[in-house]
Amino acid sequence: MDMSFKEKSAWISFISTVSIFGYYFYSIFMLIGEPPEIAKEAAKDYLIQAVFLSIVVEIFFHAVLNASNKKEAALQSDERDKAFEYKANSLGYSILVVGVVITLGRIITLEYNPEFAEQHSSLQIPLLTAHILMFTFILSEIVRFGGQIFFYRRGY
Amino acid sequence: MLTQFQIVNRVREKRFFADEMTQQELADLVGVTRQTIMAIEKGKYSPSLEVAFKIAVVFECRFDDVFTYEIL
Repeated sequence: MDMSFKEKSAWISFISTVSIFGYYFYSIFMLIGEPPEIAKEAAKDYLIQAVFLSIVVEIFFHAVLNASNKKEAALQSDERDKAFEYKANSLGYSILVVGVVITLGRIITLEYNPEFAEQHSSLQIPLLTAHILMFTFILSEIVRFGGQIFFYRRGY
Repeated sequence: MLTQFQIVNRVREKRFFADEMTQQELADLVGVTRQTIMAIEKGKYSPSLEVAFKIAVVFECRFDDVFTYEIL
């Protein structure tokens, strides 16, 4: 497959984000039913691990990519790369905005209706508000990287 | 009915007559990636005016010798 440097970079970010944060959210869902204090501590540990692993994996694979494509790495994004980046950013941003609006709605609803608070919720996910925001952020990143890959594969 | 147009280019042909210049050589001269030159040649991507003019300069010809706007 003939891929540009930027497309390879998008693939690295896409695969690492899907796999690391996919496993993270799977682990969080597995905490449903656990005592809240234990679940909260475990969620914090999972988050630290996922963020740390994500940084390490991104740095390692991008370093390998740069070392094996020195000439292309030195060349900055050309106009086609930038066009794809803008289009993909726009897609990701739309997802992020939806997530932020949902989170805001949830915060305001809980402020005026405390009876809907997490301890009475049927969805016993630890740090639920933070996780809704986190999920939309990760989803927006996946859409952004996926969008770039889609535009590169389509060619325009 | 609105007439449909498309941008047609002769970059592949120009490269052939420029001593079979490679896509990579042209990309380096123009300042884009080889994949962008490939996309332009296939008609999948329409370059900016700046890149289109740079391509014409590389081949030492007029802009409309390389790029034309034709009815579909």
